[in-house]
Amino acid sequence: VNPLQTDRVRRHTAAAVLRRIDEVTADSLNEHASAGSAHFAERLQALDREWDIDRTIEAEASAMGLLALGLGAFASRRLLALPVMIAASMLLYGTTGRYPLLPIFRRLGLRTAREIARERYALKALRGDFAHMQREPSTATVATTQVRTATGVDQRRAAELQDTL
Amino acid sequence: MKLLERLPATSTRVEQNTAPELNHAVRKRADAELERLQGASNEQFIARLEELDREWDIERLLQVNASSLALTGLALAYTVDRRFLWLPAGIFTFLAQHAWQGWCPPIPLFRRLGVRTAREIERERYALKVMKGDFDHVPAPGQADASARVRAVLAAVDA
Repeated sequence: VNPLQTDRVRRHTAAAVLRRIDEVTADSLNEHASAGSAHFAERLQALDREWDIDRTIEAEASAMGLLALGLGAFASRRLLALPVMIAASMLLYGTTGRYPLLPIFRRLGLRTAREIARERYALKALRGDFAHMQREPSTATVATTQVRTATGVDQRRAAELQDTL
Repeated sequence: MKLLERLPATSTRVEQNTAPELNHAVRKRADAELERLQGASNEQFIARLEELDREWDIERLLQVNASSLALTGLALAYTVDRRFLWLPAGIFTFLAQHAWQGWCPPIPLFRRLGVRTAREIERERYALKVMKGDFDHVPAPGQADASARVRAVLAAVDA
C-alpha cells in the first residue's frame, strides 16, 4: 500500500513536477545516509516546521478572500464574485484535491503532509530507529511497545508541546 | 525568517492548540488499534492501511467546512441582507488564524469528535508498516553502503 499513490494532491500534479519533488526527498536521504547521525535530528526538526501544501493554501485563500470581500463591500458589488470564486476553489480543493494555484505551489516545491511524513519516517529508518523491531511472532508485544516509543513524540517535542500549551 | 521560526511547527500546530487530554485520547485509540493488529495477517494490515488512506484529516475537514460556510454567507448576502457578508469575513479571518497559529473555533469540537491531524494518521501508518514487516529488509547502519540503504528504505516506505 504505497501511501503516495492515494494522495489526492499528487493525482493533480504533473509527472515531471512529481519527479522533481521526489528527487529532493531522495537527495536528502542520500545526503543523510552518508553524513552520519548528527544531522538527523536537525533535519527531522526542519521537516516538522516545513509548510505543507494545506497550510499554504489556507493562508493564501484566507488572505485573498478577505481582500476580495473588502473590495466587494466597499468598491463595487460586482467584485463580490471574487470571494465566491475563492471559497468555491477551496471547496473544490477540499473535496477533490484540485486547486487553481496548485500547479504554481507544486512547482515551487511545496510538499503534501504525506510526502513530508514519508521523508520523516525514511530518515528514522535510515538512522536505525526501527532496527531492533524485526518481526518475530514471539516478540510481538515487545515490538509494539518499541514501535510506540520510536514513532512517539520524542523528548524534545514533548517539551516543546508543553512550552506552548 | 525570524517570524516564521516563532510560528508553531506545521505538523504539530493543531496538537499544540488542543487540550492535552484530547491529544492523549487520540493517541490511546491509535495505540489500541496497533495492539489489536498484533500478529495480524498481511490482509488485515493492508485493510487498515487503506482505511488510513481514506481517512479525512483535520485540515481537509476544516477546508470543506470553512468554504461551505463562506459560500452560504455569500449567498445570503446576495439574496437576503448585505450584512451577511460578516459571515464570510469571520470565516476567512479564522481560516487565516488556523493557518498561521493552528487554532480556529471548530478545532475543539473536531478534536473532541476524534478528527486527527495528518501527523497522527501518519504515525499510525508507519507503526503499522513496521509491524507488518515492511522495514525488515533495511540493513542496519554500517551493514551496507549508503546508497543501498537508501534504496532499501525507499522500498520500505513505498511498500
